[in-house]
Amino acid sequence: MLAKRECFKDFRFWCLTLALVALVMLFLFPKVKQSGPVYQMTFIVDITRSMNTEDYRYNGEMISRLEYVKMTLRELLSSLPCQSKVGLGVFTERRSSLLFQPIEVCSGFNELDAAIAALDWQSAWAADSRIAHGLLNTLDMLKDDQETRLIFISDGHEAPPLNSRYGPDFSTVKDKIKGLIVGVGGLEPKPIPKFDQQGKRVGFYGADDVPHRSTFGESDLNPESIQGYDARNAPFGSEAAAGSEHLSRLYEPYLKQLAAETGLGYQRLTETAAFNQALQSEALALNKDIWIDRRWQFASMALLALLLVFI
Amino acid sequence: MLINFDTPWLLSGLLLMMVPLLRTGIKSQAYPWLAILPKDTLSSSLSVLIRIIGMAAIGLLILGLSGVYLKEQRIERIGQGAHIVLLLDRSNSMDTTFAGKAPMNEQEESKSAAARRLLTEFIDKRSHDLMGIAEFSTAPLFVMPLTENKQALHAAIAATATPALAYTHISKGLAMALSFFDEQPTTGTRIIVLVSDGAAAIDSDSEQALRTLIKEQHIRLYWVFLRTSNSPGIHEKPENSRDDNAQALPEKYLHLFFSSLNVPYQVYEAESPEGLQSAIDDIDKLENRPLHYFERLPKQDLSGLCYQWASLMIALLLVLKLCEVNRS
Repeated sequence: MLAKRECFKDFRFWCLTLALVALVMLFLFPKVKQSGPVYQMTFIVDITRSMNTEDYRYNGEMISRLEYVKMTLRELLSSLPCQSKVGLGVFTERRSSLLFQPIEVCSGFNELDAAIAALDWQSAWAADSRIAHGLLNTLDMLKDDQETRLIFISDGHEAPPLNSRYGPDFSTVKDKIKGLIVGVGGLEPKPIPKFDQQGKRVGFYGADDVPHRSTFGESDLNPESIQGYDARNAPFGSEAAAGSEHLSRLYEPYLKQLAAETGLGYQRLTETAAFNQALQSEALALNKDIWIDRRWQFASMALLALLLVFI
Repeated sequence: MLINFDTPWLLSGLLLMMVPLLRTGIKSQAYPWLAILPKDTLSSSLSVLIRIIGMAAIGLLILGLSGVYLKEQRIERIGQGAHIVLLLDRSNSMDTTFAGKAPMNEQEESKSAAARRLLTEFIDKRSHDLMGIAEFSTAPLFVMPLTENKQALHAAIAATATPALAYTHISKGLAMALSFFDEQPTTGTRIIVLVSDGAAAIDSDSEQALRTLIKEQHIRLYWVFLRTSNSPGIHEKPENSRDDNAQALPEKYLHLFFSSLNVPYQVYEAESPEGLQSAIDDIDKLENRPLHYFERLPKQDLSGLCYQWASLMIALLLVLKLCEVNRS
C-alpha cells in the first residue's frame, strides 16, 4: 500500500494518467460541430471572342483572358473548403447555358478541374455578345436558388455595340440572388485574335470586320447631331460608322453599372490571390454546420504529458 | 508510396522520440554508494523497456498528429461495365413533346425531360461504368469527363433542365464525344450513346475524319432517336427520288453513315417516353459483358489506429509505473 501511495506522489504518474485520459477523450469526442463558411457558387464564364484577347501576363507570356480565367478558377477550386459546391456555365449570344449544377468540390475536384480546363471559345453557339441580356437570362435562370451565388465573368465587351435605348430591364431579378460580376481584361484596347473555321489562328480582327454601332431600331442619339439623318430611311445617319470595336478592353464602368442595376457586387480580376479573397468573403459565404476533426487537440495534450514524464 | 500525410512537416516532431533516450523517465533516488547495489537484470531490462515503450508512444502520437493515411487505391477487378459517353442534343426542339408541341400541362413531358428522367435512372443502374457527358447544339459543349462520380453526373443531367440552345450540329458533337477516349486506356467497351431528336447533314470533310476516329477508337455506337410524330424517320422512302438526299432527310443519311462504319451500331427510334425507356433498358442489357475495371478504395485514415496503439503504450507505461518500487 505504501508503495502505491508513494507512486501517487510522483508527478510522472499523474502525467501518464493525464495522457491516457486525453486519449480516452480523443476516442469519445473525435469531432466538434462548428458553424463554418462554405461556398456555393455557379460560375458563368463569357466565352465570346473578345475573351481571346491576350492581355494577361503569365510567366512572361501573354495569355488570353479566357485562359487566365480558367487558370484562376482551377486554382480557386483547391482553396475552397470541403462541402463547398461549384457549378459551371458558359455565356455567349444573349444567354447562358448551365453545364452542371453545383458539385461538391472535394469529391468532385477532378471532374470540376477537367470541365473548367475544357472551357473553349469554340463552344459558343452563336457569335453575338449581348452581355446585359445574358446577365438577365442567367439571373432569371438561377433566381429560385437562394443558396447559390452567381459569379458572372466577362470583359463587358458588347458586340454588336449596345443601343442604350434597348437595354434590358433588371427590375424583376434585382437583389434576388447574391453574387459578383468579375471584370476581366486590361484597360488598354488590344486587338482580338481571329480564327478560321478549323479553329486555326489567322491574325486579328480588323476595323472592317465588325460593326461599330448598333443599327437596330431607333437611334439613341439626338437626331440633330446625326449626319444625314432621315427618320425612315437612315435613322442612324448616312455616314459609315468608324470606331474601335475591333479592339477590346475591359469595360469596367459598364460592368459596374450592370452590377448596380442587378444588386451584384463587382470585382476586377487582376491576380489570383485577390480574386480568391473576394470570392471567399463573408457576403458570399453560407454558414453551415460542419464537423471538424479535433483529435489533434487531445493528441497534442497527450504528447505533452508524455514528454513531461521523461523530462 | 501508399502512405501519405496531411501535414508532413509535423513529422519533424519524430525527433522528440530521442527524449526517452536521454532521460530514463524513472524517479531518481539518492543512494549512498551505487557500486554496492546488486546487479538486477530485471530492473535494467525494465528500464530499457520503458524507454522503448515511451519512444513508441511518442512516435505514434506524432504520426497520428501528422494525419497519416493510406492513399486512395485502385484495385483491378473483372465485372460488368463499360466506358460510356452520353452525347446529348441541346437543340431547341428537344424542349417540345414527342407530338412536337410545347408541353402544356403536367402530364405532357418534353423530350428533354423524358430523357433527363430516364438517363438519371440509367446512371444509377450502371454501377461499374465510367460515364462522361458531352452536349451539342450548334457547337459542342464539354460537360463532364469520364467519371465514376454519380453526383457529378446527376448534377450535369439536372442542368439540362435549363432551356435548350440553338440548332443541331452533329458532327462537331461526335468529334467532341470521341475526344473523351483520347487519354483513356483501352480496357473494356467504349460506347457513345447519342440522344437526339434529329440530325443534320454531315459535311464530307468531317465525315472522313469521323470515320477514321470511330474505327481507331473501337467505338460501339448507339443512337437513341427521339422521333417527333410526323417527322421523317430513318427508313423513310420519299415518293420523289429527288428528295432522297442528306439535306432533306438528314436522319436517314446519318443512319446510313453510322451503318456504313463497320462498328457495332444500334439505332432506336423512340416515339414516346416508353419507347425511350425500352431503348435505354436494351442498352443496359446489351452492355453487360465482362470488363476489367478498377474499383476505387477510398483514402483510409490511419491516425485513429496510431492513437489506439499510443493509448495502449501509455496504459502499459502506467501499469509499469504502478509496479515501481519505492523505498525512501
